[in-house]
Amino acid sequence: MKTRNEKMNVSILALAVRCALMTTIALPLSAYAADDADALTKPTRSVDFGVLYSSENSARFGQYNGLNTKGFYGLGGFDVRGGDGYDRDKNSALRWKLNGSDLGTTSRNLGASVGEQGKWKFGIGYDELRHNITDTFQTPFLEDTGGNNFTLPSNFGGINSATGQPSANRLTPNQAYAFHTEKEYTTRRNGSVGTSFSFTDQLSAQIDYNHLEQSGAKLIGTGSLGSGINLLGGSTGRAEGNSIIMNPTSYSTDNITAALNWVGDKSHLTAGYYGSLFHDDYNSVSWQNPLTTGASRCVGINCYINNTMSTAPSNSLHQANLSGGYDFSATTKLAGGFSYGYNKQNDSYAPTLIVQPIGNTPNPYNMMQANGLPVSSLNGVVETTHGDIKLTDKSFKDLNLSAGFKFDERDNRTDSNVYKYKNIANAAYTGVNTPYSNRKLQYEAAADYRLTKGQNLNLAYLHESIKRWCNGVVGGAQCVSSPASEEDKISLTYRLKIIDAVNFNAGYSYADRRADTSNFLANAGDYALVTPVSGSAFNAGNYQGFVAYPYASRSQNVGKAGVNWQVTQKLDVALNGRYSYDDYNAQLGVQNGQSAAVNVDTTYNYTSDGSLTAYWSWQNGQRNLTSGTTGNGTAAFTPSQIVEPKNIWSNKLDDNSQAFGLLAKQAGLLGGKLEVLGDMSYSLNTTTYATQVPYNTAVSCASSASLTCGIVSPIKNELISLKLTGNYKIFENGKLSLSYMYQKLNSNDYFYNGQQFGYTPNRVIPTGLQEQSYTANVVALSYNYKF
Amino acid sequence: MKLLIQIILLCTLAIGSAYAESTPAPDTKTTAKSEALDRDSVCTRCHDENESKPILSIYQTPHGNKADSRTPSCQSCHGESEKHLSSKSSAPDVIFGTKSVGSHAPSEAKDQNKACLTCHGKDQKRTHWESSAHQAADVACTSCHETHTAHDKVRDKKTQPDVCFACHKDQRTQINKFSHHPIGEGKVACADCHNPHGSAGPKLLVKNTVTETCYTCHAEKRGPFLWEHQPATEDCTNCHTPHGSNITPLLKSRAPFMCSECHDGPHVSKNPAAGNVEGLQGGLTVAPSESFTGRACTNCHSMVHGSNDPAGALLQR
Repeated sequence: MKTRNEKMNVSILALAVRCALMTTIALPLSAYAADDADALTKPTRSVDFGVLYSSENSARFGQYNGLNTKGFYGLGGFDVRGGDGYDRDKNSALRWKLNGSDLGTTSRNLGASVGEQGKWKFGIGYDELRHNITDTFQTPFLEDTGGNNFTLPSNFGGINSATGQPSANRLTPNQAYAFHTEKEYTTRRNGSVGTSFSFTDQLSAQIDYNHLEQSGAKLIGTGSLGSGINLLGGSTGRAEGNSIIMNPTSYSTDNITAALNWVGDKSHLTAGYYGSLFHDDYNSVSWQNPLTTGASRCVGINCYINNTMSTAPSNSLHQANLSGGYDFSATTKLAGGFSYGYNKQNDSYAPTLIVQPIGNTPNPYNMMQANGLPVSSLNGVVETTHGDIKLTDKSFKDLNLSAGFKFDERDNRTDSNVYKYKNIANAAYTGVNTPYSNRKLQYEAAADYRLTKGQNLNLAYLHESIKRWCNGVVGGAQCVSSPASEEDKISLTYRLKIIDAVNFNAGYSYADRRADTSNFLANAGDYALVTPVSGSAFNAGNYQGFVAYPYASRSQNVGKAGVNWQVTQKLDVALNGRYSYDDYNAQLGVQNGQSAAVNVDTTYNYTSDGSLTAYWSWQNGQRNLTSGTTGNGTAAFTPSQIVEPKNIWSNKLDDNSQAFGLLAKQAGLLGGKLEVLGDMSYSLNTTTYATQVPYNTAVSCASSASLTCGIVSPIKNELISLKLTGNYKIFENGKLSLSYMYQKLNSNDYFYNGQQFGYTPNRVIPTGLQEQSYTANVVALSYNYKF
Repeated sequence: MKLLIQIILLCTLAIGSAYAESTPAPDTKTTAKSEALDRDSVCTRCHDENESKPILSIYQTPHGNKADSRTPSCQSCHGESEKHLSSKSSAPDVIFGTKSVGSHAPSEAKDQNKACLTCHGKDQKRTHWESSAHQAADVACTSCHETHTAHDKVRDKKTQPDVCFACHKDQRTQINKFSHHPIGEGKVACADCHNPHGSAGPKLLVKNTVTETCYTCHAEKRGPFLWEHQPATEDCTNCHTPHGSNITPLLKSRAPFMCSECHDGPHVSKNPAAGNVEGLQGGLTVAPSESFTGRACTNCHSMVHGSNDPAGALLQR
């Protein structure tokens, strides 16, 4: 018995073990049955981490992706969701989410939200973006990017024609040595918080706030003070002495959006507020310019002219919004909105008394004439008003009708004053600020008729009326060259479903804008006071007959067509194109412009795991301009000189773009563990300017001393990109990703010619900016874990 | 023997409790949530996890959050589909999407949209849907939205542009041009500027005007400035092309040629420019002009968006 008992004991032990095993197995077995469904109904939580290596130091390659320097970067991201709202067995609507991406770069993003659906929601977010502009900018200024005062080394010396350095393109070795590289970039950091709350099924409210912090700088051109300042060494400053400086973007913007929403059976209404408060830490930027004129040698810090110019002024916008709709019936509806905005800017003006280096005279230099500054800040106010209303009706079988009206006004209530100052050539100048206002009215009507099932015709008509004016301009003169325009536009669109798998559409529109250009064509008042043009009483100083293209009469024809064909369940093909032609009614100015585009796309889903997509795009844009010129007797600066407008020179812009791409995806490899993705693209963009000067016979336009005619070398950018990614599932919840990217930019732009040491204009300080071509190889390895 | 019985009992209990733990006890309290799930079950007993399309993923979306009394059931959108229930070969009342699936063609866009607008028709973002560009072009909600997947591409900033580019192919090319907003990089999405559900602004812009839309991010350009540049106050697209350009920063053309489109008289705007813009490297034999090379006009007239300097009427300061 003892033995049997022992056996029994063993058996009991074995049974207990088996039982325990069965128990442990029972859980996963029962869970396994629901695994597939759970995988679909429960949120997938994931964490990514890894490392990336980039081979290239290039601000252009890293323009927005944060990979601007060669080296290793951490990769990190997560997406975690939860809450009882995902549990089908719990009567809760609560869900929450945490997410982050690109954590290892300056393009990082983080967010969190929680809410009980239908009742309330709360979220916070952070987003960062560094815009890398250039890493080849060279400057002699001592201060780093981000400040608003830039000074030269004390031993930099002047750039003076009498000292053996006739121009900015012949710097002394000492001056050249002072140049160093400053990386130019701007960084945006955006923090946000928002919440919404439903009081009842009909009434809800939401409020969002975000704070955008900007830092860094953008390059900007500057003209220096002129001969008004006498340097200790006997020289004077030089007007149009250009330095490229780092204009600080030390900004912050607070945006607040609040809304109260009401929804009824037949109507809904939203009352809202939008506030935008922009703050610039600076109201001016100062710099020293070494460009001088005169016979004396200039040495040391006294060679410089201190300059100041304004930066973006702090301002605010408060806007009240109302929008809503009312359903007269299920087929007849009314919708509309109204907005009123109050935009104020009262930042103190940039300083006008500019302290100069010791010894220079006058010191300080007053940029204003005596009693020339009427106020110390603008106290600028712009009121914007918007209204819209649209009635839609579907009462008639197969016919949809709509009629609408829109109103937009920018009413600049800023005071107009006389400002007497000295321009950069130190000449007395009188300017009157002209606060621009405009009002746009739009009337529209449309009808959409279903000819047959799958065949529609849409006809739309739009009338637009624009008025422009200035309130209370000192002197009472007209301030705008085109005070009004009227435009009619008619559009016809046809859609046809040839068969279930083929959709065709074609459209044509014609627009006719009739602008009042009387102020361009005749003496409309004393412009000397109200336009920033010296000595001209006509047409904003332009040649008689010249009309700026946004304000010219114009006819516009646009045609487009496209077809989408689902050839089989696996194969789709799409083709579309458009063409537009704008014809301007102006004797001089832009004469016409045209644009055209063709796109071809095809997608082949050869299996449920594999697909291939290819596309090709071509775009072209052209603009033809005619103009007058000097020396031909047609200049119209006084009434006696007015003669028939004559086209002396013309210019053609030709912008071409081609792109093709190939995307491939193959999953299900290696027993379903491997997925491979490929993305290859190529684009080539060229911009060319061609100038002809048929009437300028006095000097050959092709002379190498002027080169005023001919074709400019194309601005050419060619981008080749290849990205390969492999995702390998190591186990059920773990995936390893390996990706490789090759990207090459071939950039050719004449812009950089005039930036180089030894090749600048006489009065432009070089920057040494380089073309932004690059060849980048990037390898990334990351691990994705789902739980 | 007693021990054996105890073990068997324990084992039975353990296994039973294991199953009990993993099999939810029926909630005796009838809730709106369970009712909704019951209605869904009419469909999900066939359309389950074995579907090639992940039908059940809708439970990860707001449309599957059944504790919210507003949440629809399958029938709310697809209709009661009685014919389909009695015969699989018959189509459901409403089939969403843009492509035929098997022998079933998608429902007309207006019928698809009607289902969505039943709940979504009355809110601020869709106030202007009727007769908007997308509505008039028969764009269905499901042309852009995927309601059954946990990740609706069009609601994700990084993947949204690809959805829009399915139709807007010119813009797909433009965002890859040399100068572009960080759209492809996932930092700016189409919906940051456009409201695809209709708006009172031009080109479905989220704000009432082009300038208002741009000032949302570029408030430093808002002013008002003491010295305004008229075309800049009216419409940023007079000079800029927001989807991409071969010329930085998002310019339609480049100085001095661009400036010549509006200025032909003052200073040197009346003079023709050609190879001289290329400087000495382009064949010019004299020192190039600061009016034509490099930044050209904007070497001096750099405050093209307006100036707040009392001595800056010529937009130089």
